This record gives sequence, C-alpha cells and structure tokens, in this order.
Amino acid sequence: MTTSDTSNPIPSQDPPQVDNYLTHSTGIMSWLGTLDHKRIGVMYLCSILTAFFFGGLFAMLVRAELMFPGKLFENPDTYNVMFTMHGVIMVFLVIIPSVPAALGNFVLPIMLGAKDVAFPRLNLFSYYLWVTGAVLAVSSVFFGGVDTGWTIYVPYSSSGSNMDGILPVTFAIFVLGFSSIFTGINFIVTIHRLRPPGMTWFRMPLFLWAIYATGILQVMATPVIGITVLLLAMERMFHIGIFDPAYGGDPVLFQHFFWFYSHPAVYIMILPAMGIISELISVHSHKHIFGYKFIAFSSVAIAIFSFIVWGHHMFVSSQSPLMNVIFSAITFSVAIPSAIKVFNWIATLYKGSISLNTPMLYALAFIVLFTISGLTGLHLGALATDIHLHDTYFVVAHFHYTMMGGSIIAMIGGLHHWWPKMTGKMYSEFWGRIAFTMVFIGFNLTFFTQFMLGSKGMPRRYQDYSGENWSLAQTELFAQYHWWSSIGAFLTGFGFILVAIYLLHSLFKGKRAPANPWGGRSLEWQCASPPPHDNFSKPPTVGDCYDYSVLEWDESEQGYRWRADVKHPGEE
Amino acid sequence: MSLLLLASSLIAQTGRTGGGFWFPEPGSSVATEVDFVFNVITQICIFFFVLIVALMVIFCFKYRRKEHVADTGGATHNTILELTWTGIPIILVILIFFLGLQGYVRIITPPENSYEIEAMARQWSWTFTYPNGAQDFDSVLHVPVGVPVKINLRSDDVLHALFIPAFRVKMDAVPGKNTFIWFQAIQEGEYPLYCAEYCGTEHSQMVGKVIAYNAVEFEEVIEELNTWIDKVPDEKLHMAGRLLYNLCSACHTTDGKALIGPSFLETHNKFKDGGTRKLADGSSVKVDEQYLLKSILSPGDQIAASDSDKAYPRSMPPGLGRQLGDRKVLALIEFIKRLPELKDSDGKLISVKRSEIVEEAAEPQ
Ligand code: HEC
Ligand SMILES: [Cu+2]
Ligand SMILES: [Cu+2]
Repeated sequence: MTTSDTSNPIPSQDPPQVDNYLTHSTGIMSWLGTLDHKRIGVMYLCSILTAFFFGGLFAMLVRAELMFPGKLFENPDTYNVMFTMHGVIMVFLVIIPSVPAALGNFVLPIMLGAKDVAFPRLNLFSYYLWVTGAVLAVSSVFFGGVDTGWTIYVPYSSSGSNMDGILPVTFAIFVLGFSSIFTGINFIVTIHRLRPPGMTWFRMPLFLWAIYATGILQVMATPVIGITVLLLAMERMFHIGIFDPAYGGDPVLFQHFFWFYSHPAVYIMILPAMGIISELISVHSHKHIFGYKFIAFSSVAIAIFSFIVWGHHMFVSSQSPLMNVIFSAITFSVAIPSAIKVFNWIATLYKGSISLNTPMLYALAFIVLFTISGLTGLHLGALATDIHLHDTYFVVAHFHYTMMGGSIIAMIGGLHHWWPKMTGKMYSEFWGRIAFTMVFIGFNLTFFTQFMLGSKGMPRRYQDYSGENWSLAQTELFAQYHWWSSIGAFLTGFGFILVAIYLLHSLFKGKRAPANPWGGRSLEWQCASPPPHDNFSKPPTVGDCYDYSVLEWDESEQGYRWRADVKHPGEE
Repeated sequence: MSLLLLASSLIAQTGRTGGGFWFPEPGSSVATEVDFVFNVITQICIFFFVLIVALMVIFCFKYRRKEHVADTGGATHNTILELTWTGIPIILVILIFFLGLQGYVRIITPPENSYEIEAMARQWSWTFTYPNGAQDFDSVLHVPVGVPVKINLRSDDVLHALFIPAFRVKMDAVPGKNTFIWFQAIQEGEYPLYCAEYCGTEHSQMVGKVIAYNAVEFEEVIEELNTWIDKVPDEKLHMAGRLLYNLCSACHTTDGKALIGPSFLETHNKFKDGGTRKLADGSSVKVDEQYLLKSILSPGDQIAASDSDKAYPRSMPPGLGRQLGDRKVLALIEFIKRLPELKDSDGKLISVKRSEIVEEAAEPQ
C-alpha cells in the first residue's frame, strides 16, 4: 500500500490547516516569481480572462455599431480599430494560449502525476513573454491604433495605413509567438520525460494527446509568423521590398506566409479544446471513452493535415487555379478526423450515466457548435461555393462557431470542470446552468444569422451597410439580420458576466470542494482540492484512466472515492 | 425555441425582399450552378447535424444519471463501427470536392468571345473602362444581358476585391497583378456590387451597382458615357479633368513624387513659371499647352527626362490620349494647369461627381 495518501481525500473535518499550493507561501512575490506550474497556470488564467473581457468589450462595440444602419462612431477608422483590436486580442492573447497555457499548465503535470513541468523557469518566462506581448498590443492604441484587421494584409499594413500602432502590434505578435513556442516545447518534453510508471502513450488521458499534438504545431508553425511579422515591420520601416508591390514585393507571398501559420493556428486553438471535450464527455457520463485510439490518432492526423491546407484561405487571392484545386482537395481531408471525434464522443454517451451539470452542458454545446462549424466548412472548402462566400459574413460565422463555439466554449467548460480542483470551491450549479443557457442561445442568435447575412452577400469588415451608394433594399435586408445578431451578442455578453459573478462569488462563499466531485479517474482527481504544493508525495502508478469501475460515491464527502475492495494499480 | 422563432421570422422577411432563404435572386448563368452545389452540401449538412444532435439528445435523456453510479460498463471501442464512420464521410467529401471543382471550372473559364471591360480599384471607388473608351468612375458597371462579360481587374493601391453577390463571382484586385472575373447576366436589372477585401477607412462605401441592359440600350448607355464630357461647361472642365485623372494616377502623382512618370505637380509648376522640360535626347522644350497636348496625344515623340537628366521610361500608353477624344484631353490639360484649385486645405485632391458638373440645361430646345 503505497499511494493511499494521495488517493484518499482529506476528510472534510479539518481542511483549513492542510497545506495546499495556494497557502504554501504568501506575499505577492511568492506569486510573481513562482515556479509552481499551478500558480503560473492561475496567473495565466487571470490574465487571459482579463484580456477576454477587453476582447469581448470590443466585440460588443462592434455589434453596437452594426446593430442599426448608419454610423454610431462618426469616424470609420474608430470602427476599423475596434474590429482589429477584437481580433488581435481574441486570437493572439486569448484563444491561442487559453487552453494550453492556462488550463494545460495547471492540469497537465498533475495528470502525469508529476511535480511540475519539465522546465519550470521556461514556463515562467513564457508567462512574462505573454505579459510583454499583451502590453505591446495594448500600447498600439496609444501609438495611434491599428486598423489593418488581425490578418495585417500587405500592402495595406506596409504602406496603405497611416496608423502607427501597426509596429507595436507586429512586435506583440512576434513576442507572443515565442511565448507560445516555449509553452509548446515545455509540454512536449514534459509528456516525453515525466510520465509516471504505468502510463504508456496509450494510457495517457486524451487531453494530453491533444496538448502534445498542439505542442508540435506551436513549435513548427509559430516561427513562420514570427519571421513574417518581422519582415513586415522592416518593410514598413525601411521600405525593403518583400511583400509590397510598391517596393517590388509580392503581396500574395505575404498571404502564403501568414496562412502557413494561421491555419495551423486554428488547430492550435481547437485541438486542446477537443482534448478537454474528450475528458468532459467521458467523466460526466461515467463511461469509458469510446475509440480511444481513433481519437488519439485523429489529433495527430489533424496536426499533420493542418500544415498543408493553408491555401484554402486564398481561393480568390490570384493564386493559380491549379493550387486552388489542390488546396481544396487536401482541405477536405481535415474533415475526416474531425468527424471521427464527433462520432466517438456521441458513442461514448451511449449507455453512460449522464449528468447534465454545467461542465457537461458546455461539452455537449461544443459538440453541437463544432458540428455546425465543421459542416459549414464544407461549403467553404468547395471551390464553387467559396468564391461566393469568401470574405462575407458566412466566413465570420463559420470561424466564430469554431473559435468561440469551439475553443472558448470548451475553455469555459474546462474551467468549470477543474474549478473545484483549482480553487477548492464549488460554484453554484443553478447559476451555472442559467448562464450557460444565456450563452448558448445568445451565441447561436449572434452567429447563425450571420451565415444568412453572408450568403446573401454582406461582406465582412464593413462599418456600415447604408449610404449614398447603397440601395435601400440591401440596407433593409441586412439590417434585419444585423439587429438579431447584435441582440444575441449582448445576451452572450450578459451570460459571461454572470459566469464571472458566480465564479468569483464561489471563491468566498462556495462550498468546499471534495477531491473528486465528478467521479473522474485521471490522476488530478486523486490528489486533494486544491492540490498540495508538490501534487503527489510519491509518483502514483496509473491504470486505465477511463475505467470508472474502481470508484464509488462517498456521501459524507459529496464526491467519489476509490473503492475499498479494489486495489490501486501497481499494488500487490 | 427562440432560434425557431428567429428562423421563421427570417424566412418571412426574406420572402418579402425576394431571393431564397440563403441567396439573392440568381442573376448570372453560373449562379444557379453555385446554388445547386451549395444546396447539395447543405442537405448533407442537415442530415448529419440532425443525426448527431438527435442521438445526443436521445442519449442524454435515456441515460440520464439517476443515482450515483461510478461506472456503467459498455463497449470501449468497435473497430467496424469506427471504420464505417470514417469511410462514409470520406466518400461524401470526395463527392463534394468534385461538385465544387466542376462549378469552379466554369467560374474561371470565360468564353472566347467575351466582351471585355477594364476595372481599376482605388481607395474607395471602382472605375470601369469600356472598349470604346467610355468610362464610369462612380463604381457603376454597365453590362449587356446574355453576353459573356469579362472584367479585367487591377488595383492602384492596396488589395480590393470585386464581389457581385447576384452573380456569385468574386476576385481580388491585387496591385501589380492582373486578375479577372467573368459572368453572363441573365436578366435586366440592378445588382449590388461590393469591395470584399478590406481596404481601409471607407471600405464599406466602396460599393456600387451593376446595371444589366438589353443589347440596344447598352450601346446607347456606353455611347452617352463617352459623350458626357460635351455637356460639361468650359469653366468646369478642370473638374472633369479631376475625374479623368483616375486614368493617369497609376503613373503620375499630384504631390511632387515621381512614380513611373513625372508628377503633375512638377509639370504644373513648370507650366506656371514658363519653365522647360529636359528630354531624353538632350534637348529641352518649353512646357506650354502645345507640349502638354503632344505629350498626351503622342507620348512616344518626345520622352521626358528628370531635371537630373534621367530619362523616364517609354511606358506612357500611346493609345490612351487619342482614345479619350479632344475634349477630355483638354479637360486633363486644364486639370494640370489649375491643379492647386482642385486640392483641399490638406493638399489632397478633392473628389468630384459627374452629376455635379454635367449641365443638362445646356441643350436648348
Ligand atoms: C503607364 C504609365 C503612364 C500612364 C497611365 C500615364 N502616363 Fe503620362 N507619362 C508616363 C511617362 C513614363 C512619362 C514620361 C515619358 C514621356 O514623356 O513619355 C509621361 C509623361 C507625361 C506628360 C509629360 C509630363 C512632363 O512634365 O513632361 C504628360 C503631360 C502626361 N504624361 C500626361 C498623362 C495623362 C494626362 C495621363 C492620363 C490620361 C497619363 N499621362 C497616363 C507614363 C504614364
Ligand atoms: Cu484554414
Ligand atoms: Cu475594400
């Protein structure tokens, strides 16, 4: 009997005295200089959620402008800066780091039964790179703003725009890229080197497979965007001709470089989210994940395919028709592993014991929303239809279903799932479900309308859909959809505010969380909530992390515990 | 529930404004084909969406947790089943790929005998030039019905994209490159036209319309486009020149910076001061009306050089001036002569609309 100290949760009578990672040391410096992956994860989480708030604020302003025809902001440049900042913040500051750097940092080493990540100092450095990138990105506003859109297409970004915020933003993207690369390296090495005894590759929780595949993408794709933005900055400052035709460059080359990173980046954003969903679906239906190997390999397949489909963003860019055909063909290959995952999740639900609590609601919402995003991807991957739909609201809707309906929803689901573990507190299930309903309905209202808006022909990045050149019929038609879309956006916004309120409330007034509130089998549920500084006093031995038959309900704890009549793996 | 309400209200709305649930009324010969591909994909999507969501909802109700069971047993995998749901999507996406490819080939293959129109994109308007030299600077595109039309796209500054939703066509206008779209309008009428690639401040006003006419009417319109200049009174001729300057701005600036050709500001200053222009052959010539006229009408005869004796390239299009006709050339000369009057306090060129300078009343009946 060696591991009982970690698997049997501390009895509820004497919790406050027990040392955990939050109480282990005190003072602001014990946080800012910490090497503890859990604290770094929490710092990331707070910072990223703050950025999410501002990115969301810009989204609300954008929707406010578009709610009615006519101009809310007198100067179109104001609007252009707002949609650019919304995109830059959400992509580079929020979604790319959200799951790996915030949740991954907290959960990954514990899932591995390790004390920390492989390179704790590099981990802290990544965090401060993120902070530097965030400061640079925000500072662009004081330099006069950026109005290029997050795609920073040349030649508008190199010589067309006269706003001086572009340089700080390119540097921000450069620095944030390194933050992402270091996180990727760190997790790859951690997964290779720090797996506990008994955890073979095919016994890893699927979240780790996802993080691993993501790490590979981060390390291999991100340098390309780093070089690209540097070249862009040099072109803007010194007028050397690389991308800008005015200096002898090729603007389509920029798009190739940009999407060579930014398409894999889509999977940097969605793969970890899929990892979360695999965990949530299995745990909250107390059912062994269905088709473990198919799900694991589909993550790797997605990572590989995602490198060779970037040209599907450029079907009307003047790239040659032959390239268009090739890229269209390869693009469809990504649909397969995605479809496999969805079917396997549904099969996991079959004959489970499904609890519709808040994290599970988000997981189920993910399946619905991701299915819509994947299926509408077919319209965009097919050449004939993409010509019409490209750069319209159809695309806006499609990638919000992926990025928000996918990544953000999974992130919020994961946050609820691991919240008891991170904070040691339970949030209000009632308010959790109310807020979920608001977000789910609001989100669909916002973005489903945009599919129709796009196929009807509304181009993206328009401040206004009225004016002397506009026909009245068009203005009236678009106004209907935009009004609904904005109503949905505001509803979603209130939903997220509600989430923030009840989560913060739980910190002070929440019930104490048991070690294993959901009946999860992976290792993080075998240490206390919140985990002690060192996670585990001895490296635990692992079995099948989706076999729930070893657990039983403990009424006094209001959580699950290891069955007394079942031995731990590795025990005689 | 609210989604259903929304959907039904939207269906009602779109019913009023014409066009189907998804698309604007098809206006070109490829539109119906694109819509067909879209609808096939959408049917497949709806099938899978309903399948997935229905199974999910059924499972969630049927296997709802009633008591605290830790484990329910059940299968952990089933290779046959998993291969099935790998295989079926593969077949379907191959089908979709070929459908999309087929439509695309038509979209990018203009018939041999297409009627060609030149389009120039600039922040933030479209200029269309017709084979007879007629031009429209106000983002209005005139096309004949039933004739394949090929639009050659160029851009003067940043990326733009010409997008005509009713025709289901779109293409980027890339500075330094030539691209095109083609279509065949199937019905007379007006259709919106947009810039679909973000291009800065007034991107959302870089919109216009396509007007499709029957062949006879079309010829009349193009003819009138060519003769509007005759209705501009002499004292407003320099403003007409401002409109026409869009044809020259790819090579001539008005701020003193030399591009491919000398800046019109320099030309203006030389003209005002009675200065001379050095020529590539070493001689020099006084910059007067005669010289300007000759430069525009037969640019090859005297190649200008900069004051530091660097000859400009022989790249000014020789047909351009002759194609414009005398009065338009006169307007351009007036434009160069009165350049400062056409600039605002920031030194930027003011914008002029054709309707502001054409005088219908000039024809007494
Ligand atoms: C494709 C580039 C190009 C375009 C378009 C173009 N030009 Fe030129 N232009 C030149 C070049 C190069 C020169 C100098 C060589 C020469 O004299 O032919 C020039 C010279 C001139 C000159 C003599 C200027 C001087 O200071 O000596 C005038 C006047 C002129 N262009 C008028 C026009 C007008 C009016 C238009 C529009 C209708 C026009 N150009 C369009 C390239 C162009
Ligand atoms: Cu992509
Ligand atoms: Cu534009």
